[in-house]
Amino acid sequence: MERLKLSSIVISPADVARLRRELVGLNDFFVDAQARQTGTAMRLPKLTRILNQLAKENNVNLLEESDRNRLSEALGAIYEDAPTLHISFASEPSPKALEKLIVWVRGNIHPQALVQVGLQPTVAVGCFLRTPNKAFDMSLRASLKKSQPQLVKLIDGAINGR
Amino acid sequence: MNSGGLILIVGSLLATAVAFIWLAFKLENGGVGKPKAKGTQADQLGDAAKEDVEHIFNTEFREELRNRGRLHFEKILGENAMFLQQDLRQTTTQLNDYMRAEITRTLQEEFKKYEQSIVDAKQIALDSIEKTVATIEQQRQFLEQQMKSETDSQKDRLITRFENEMATIVNHYVLQAIGSQIDVTDQMDFILAEMQANKQAIVEDIKRGTT
Repeated sequence: MERLKLSSIVISPADVARLRRELVGLNDFFVDAQARQTGTAMRLPKLTRILNQLAKENNVNLLEESDRNRLSEALGAIYEDAPTLHISFASEPSPKALEKLIVWVRGNIHPQALVQVGLQPTVAVGCFLRTPNKAFDMSLRASLKKSQPQLVKLIDGAINGR
Repeated sequence: MNSGGLILIVGSLLATAVAFIWLAFKLENGGVGKPKAKGTQADQLGDAAKEDVEHIFNTEFREELRNRGRLHFEKILGENAMFLQQDLRQTTTQLNDYMRAEITRTLQEEFKKYEQSIVDAKQIALDSIEKTVATIEQQRQFLEQQMKSETDSQKDRLITRFENEMATIVNHYVLQAIGSQIDVTDQMDFILAEMQANKQAIVEDIKRGTT
């Protein structure tokens, strides 16, 4: 299977793990369906929006076992190998904000990058990003620190009335 | 006149007075001796002469002579007493003058010494005060310099600390002011701009992490 195109609503490794579990559940359903006695009622599994969208975007027919297996393998590879960015915010970001962020990350950093969201109240404004080997302070505090001379100049101007 | 001369004058006056007194006593007691007993011819002649003398110088005559002598003595005594009195008065006057002059001179010298002592003490006091003032001024300048240095140092420390913590302080104020009103969605432009600025580093780290 060619590289899996991750939907913008698949954000974190937890989402990938959930998709994999859902696929396993779907496989189990089909196994059960083959083994059922004739005339017994079937309880169809309810697929999540994420799985549906992922299947649709990657042209995967979830009724086909081979497609499901390929999708499961691809998700497993992503779960194991895809780069994960840990981003901490001061408060829980909205889905819309996360979607905007993941689109930018996959467009600029890596097409299969995953984002793990954390909470860090001390960040206040901005975020704190951790990659496998580095940490990036993208908070307002760090930004103010970078522009300290300008800040000093502004404060000096405010004090001296300039 | 010095004290030696004064003592010489007083001594001579006393000697004169003693001489007069001695002479008066002598005259009073009769200066002629009593006739001695008969013995030799010479003694007899002597006695005869004495008798003649006594005959000539009988009691009245002797009394007359004595009176004259007494008067003369009294006159001389009076004159000498007057001279002595004059001398004594003069000496007393001189002594007074001398004593006055000496006392005045001594007092003037003492006053001069006293004045000099006062001037010296005053000068010493002034010097001491000047030294104290200079020391105090030095101490003041030293303290002023020390305080200024300490103040500058403290000021620099405060400024440095403020500058170091400025970002945190402003961040804290921003958080206090609008922290509860800012949503992550509103911050997204800022976050994406920051990520864009660090894009290269993030990509490189991810590539290094995946290889």
